[in-house]
Amino acid sequence: MKSRLPEFTPQAYASAAGVLVVLLAPVLPGVHGVQLSIFVGVIATAIAALSLDVLVGRTGQLSLAHAAFLGIGAFATVNIGGRGAPWPIALLGGAAVTAAVATIAGLPSLRIRGLQIAIVTLALQDATEKFVFKNQTLTAATQSLDRPSLIRTDASLYFFAVVLLGIVLLVRRRVAVTRAGRALLAVRDVEARAPSFGVEPGPTKLLAYTLSGAMVGLAGALLAFKNAPGTLTSTDPFVLLQSLLLVAIVIVGGAGSGPGIVAAAFFIAGVPQLFTSVSFFGLHVKLGVYAPLVSAGLLVVSIVLQPAGIGGVVREQLERLRRRGTEPPSPRPQLVDLGEASHAAADLRQVPRGLALRMPVRALLEAEHVTVQYGGVTALSDVTLEVRRGEIVGLIGANGAGKSTFFNAASGFAPTTGSIRYRGVELLANAPSKRTSYGLARTFQDMGLVRAETVKENVLLAQTWLARYPAAAGLLALGATIGSERELRRRADVALELFGLDHLSGERLGDLPYGTMRIVEIASAVAAGPDLLLLDEATAGLGPEEAHALGDRFLALRAELGLTLVVIEHHVPLIARVCDYCYCLESGALIAEGTPAFVTAQPRVVESFLGRAAAASGGAKK
Amino acid sequence: MDTLIVGISSGAAYALMAVGVVLIFKCTRALSIAQGEIGAFGFFVGLRWAARGIPGLRWHIPVFATLLVAVVIGVAIALLLERLVMRPLVRRPPLDGLIATLGIALFLALAELRLFGTATQLAPSPVGSWKIVLFGATLGAPRVIALLIAAAVAGGLYAFFKRSKFGLAVLATASDPTVARVLGVPVNQVYRFAWVVGGALSGVAAALLAPAFGGLTPFGQTTFALRALSGAVIGGLDSVWGAIAGSLFVGVLEAEVGAQISVNAKSVAVFAAVLLTLLVRPRGLFGEVAAA
Repeated sequence: MKSRLPEFTPQAYASAAGVLVVLLAPVLPGVHGVQLSIFVGVIATAIAALSLDVLVGRTGQLSLAHAAFLGIGAFATVNIGGRGAPWPIALLGGAAVTAAVATIAGLPSLRIRGLQIAIVTLALQDATEKFVFKNQTLTAATQSLDRPSLIRTDASLYFFAVVLLGIVLLVRRRVAVTRAGRALLAVRDVEARAPSFGVEPGPTKLLAYTLSGAMVGLAGALLAFKNAPGTLTSTDPFVLLQSLLLVAIVIVGGAGSGPGIVAAAFFIAGVPQLFTSVSFFGLHVKLGVYAPLVSAGLLVVSIVLQPAGIGGVVREQLERLRRRGTEPPSPRPQLVDLGEASHAAADLRQVPRGLALRMPVRALLEAEHVTVQYGGVTALSDVTLEVRRGEIVGLIGANGAGKSTFFNAASGFAPTTGSIRYRGVELLANAPSKRTSYGLARTFQDMGLVRAETVKENVLLAQTWLARYPAAAGLLALGATIGSERELRRRADVALELFGLDHLSGERLGDLPYGTMRIVEIASAVAAGPDLLLLDEATAGLGPEEAHALGDRFLALRAELGLTLVVIEHHVPLIARVCDYCYCLESGALIAEGTPAFVTAQPRVVESFLGRAAAASGGAKK
Repeated sequence: MDTLIVGISSGAAYALMAVGVVLIFKCTRALSIAQGEIGAFGFFVGLRWAARGIPGLRWHIPVFATLLVAVVIGVAIALLLERLVMRPLVRRPPLDGLIATLGIALFLALAELRLFGTATQLAPSPVGSWKIVLFGATLGAPRVIALLIAAAVAGGLYAFFKRSKFGLAVLATASDPTVARVLGVPVNQVYRFAWVVGGALSGVAAALLAPAFGGLTPFGQTTFALRALSGAVIGGLDSVWGAIAGSLFVGVLEAEVGAQISVNAKSVAVFAAVLLTLLVRPRGLFGEVAAA
C-alpha cells in the first residue's frame, strides 16, 4: 500500500518554498500597497501566460491574441458587473465571454494542422484592438465597476489574485492527470493515430481553446477588479506587444512548466516595475526601460539554445538530485513469470461492451474483397481472409506487400472498399475510435505513442475510450472522474507488470531503447482491453532472445487473456512457432494461405521473399 | 473604381512582404512574423541619417537613399538572423521557427522604440512626391512604385523558377530539403537566398508603405506584415502567386470596407476573411500542401 502523504523529494521542497514566498509576499520587508498592486498585475500576467501555455505546451498551437483575450475578459467583466450583476457573476461572465471568443479563433484547427492558425489569432488581435478597444460603448467608459467589499484592501485583493492563480494551477494539474491532457498530447504529437485510442482530435483541440480562453478571461476579470472602482482607462496591457511578451514568458519560463512560467512572469513583467532603476558599482541601469528588450532577446536565445526554458532546466536538475545515489533502471523489460502475471492480467478484458460484441463466434474478423487505393496506386487488391477466435494469425510478405495497409484498412486509417466484419459488425461503416471500443487494438510500425511522456501516461492514453467521464468534467473532478482514473491506473499497472515494464513506468518513453518502446506500445494496446490485437512488426528492434521471449508472451496472451492476435512478422521461425494460420501477401494481393509450414514452403512465397533463384533451388529440394 | 485602384496599390505593397514570407516558408518551413520589422528598422535608420546626418560624418544622406539604407540593413539583419537563429531551428518543429521570428519582431520593434521614440517619424517618400491619376484614383509616387516593383518581382520570380538552375534548387529544397541535400543542392545557400530576398523586400515595403500611410512607428510595420501574412494564408502559404493574389485581395478588401463601413472595421474584415478561408479551403486558395 502506497502512502498517501507526499514524498519529501527535492521537487516537493521546491514547490513548498515557492508557495511560501507567494503567501508571505505582503509581509515581506519593504512591501507596501503600490507593490502589492504591482504583484496583482503580475499574477494576472502569469495567469494569462499559463493559459497561453495550455495551447503552446500541450496542444502545440500558438495564439498571438492572448493580450486581446485578456482585454475581452476585462471589458466583459466591466460590462456585466457595471450593469449591477453580483461580482462572482461578473467574474465568471468575463471568463465565459473570453472562452467563447477563443473557441471561435480555434475553429480552423478542426480543418487544418499548422501555423496558419497563429495568423488567424494575429488578425484577431488586430481586429479586437481596432474594433473593441476603440469602441466607446463596449469599453464602457461611462460605467463603473464596484470593487466588492471582500477585496477592497490591497492585501485582500492580492490574496484574491493568489487564489485565482491557485485555481488556474490546479485546473492545469487536473488537465495533466485526466483524459483531456493525455488526449491533447496525443493530438499534438501523433494526431493521425489519436483515434485509435478513442481520442477525437477535433473536440479535443476546441476544448483546449475554450479552456485557455476561460483562464485568460479570469485574468482579465482580475485586472478589471484591480482597476475598480473606476474604469480601465488604458488598453496598454491588451495590445499586440503584450501578446508577444506573453509568448516570451511562456518560452523563457518553459512550455509545460507552471512554476517556470509564474517565475518568468515575475521576472519579465514584475521586476521592471518593482525596480524601475537599479545601480550597482556606480552604474545606473534603467531596468524598466530596457527590460522588455532583454525579454525579447531572452526569448530568441531561449528558443534556439534552451527550448525547455527555466522550468525545464530546473526540473531536470531537481530530477537529477532526486535520483542521486540510485541506480538508473535497466531500460529493458524484466523477466516475468508469464503464467502468474497473465493470470493477474486476465481481468484486463473486463471492459464494458454490448452483448452482441461478447457473443461466442467462430470467426472474429472476416475480410472480403478488401481493396485500398491511394490515388491511382492500389496498395491492397481484393483480399479475402478470416481470423478465427483464439487463433494467432501471421501476416507475411515482402516490404510493400500491403500487410500494414491491411491493418490500416481494419482499424480505419486507409480509404477502403469491400467489407471487413468484426463479430458480424461492418467495420468500414464505423469511425476508427468506434472500432477501438468494439475490441480492436493495434500497434503501428513506427510507434504511435507520445515519446515526450512517461511510459505510464502512454498506457493511460491508450485506455482513453475506457474513461467513464467527459473530458471537461475531469477538469473539475466531477462525476466518475476519480473512480474511473483510479481504475485506469490500476489497469495500467497490471498491463505494465504483465510485460515486465513496471520498473520503467515513470521513465520518459523517448529515453528508452526502440525495442522497449515497441513493447510499451503492445502493453498499451493490451491495456485497452481488446479481443483482437493487431501487432505490426512487434519484434523490430529486438534481439533474437528478446524476440523469442515476445513469442512466449504472444502465446500467454492467448492462453491466459484469451486474446486473438494477428501479427505482421518478418521473423519466420517466430511465425512457425506461434502461428496457427498464415497469410502471405505480395504486391497487395493474397498469394498463399494455410499453416505456417505449408505457406513458407510454397515456391511463390519463397520467391517473393528470397528471389527467383532461391525459389528454384529451394523448390528442387522439396 | 478609385477605391479599387487604391486597394490594389496597397495590396501590391503587402505583396512585397508576402512574397518574402512565402519564399522563406517554402524553403525553411518557418513562418516569419518579422517581415515587417526587419525592413522597418532599416528605414528608421535611413530616415534618421537623412534628418540628422550619419553620426560622426555630419553628412545627411539624400532622401532617395533612405530606401537603399532600408534594403541594405534589411538584408544585413536577414543574413544575421538566418545564420544565427533560423538555421539551428530548421530541423526543429515549425512552431519553434515561428516563435523565433516573433521574438525577432519584438526585439526590433522595442529597439526602434528605444532608439527612435514612440512618436510617429515623418517619412518623406524616397521615390519622389509626384502623383498620377489612374481611373479616377489619385496615386502617390510610393503606391505607383510599389505596383511596379511588385509586378517586376512577380515577373522576375517567374523567370527565376522557370529558367535558372538555382531557381530549380529552391523548388527542390522546398519540396524536400533532405532529398535535395542528398542530390547535391546547396541547401544552406537556398536558405540564405530566401532570407536575403525576404529582407530586401521587407526594406522596400517599409520604405514605400510608411510614406503612403503617414509615417513610421515601431510595430506599425508589423500591422502591415499582418496584412501580408493574412494575404499569404488566404492565397496559400506555399504559393508565391497565391501570396500575391491574396495580398491584392486583402488590399482591396481593406480599401472597400474602409470606404464603405469604417476604418476600424477593416481589421475585422481581414480577420473574417482569413478565418473563413481556412474553414472553407484550409490550404488557401492556391495552396497545395498543408503546412505541417
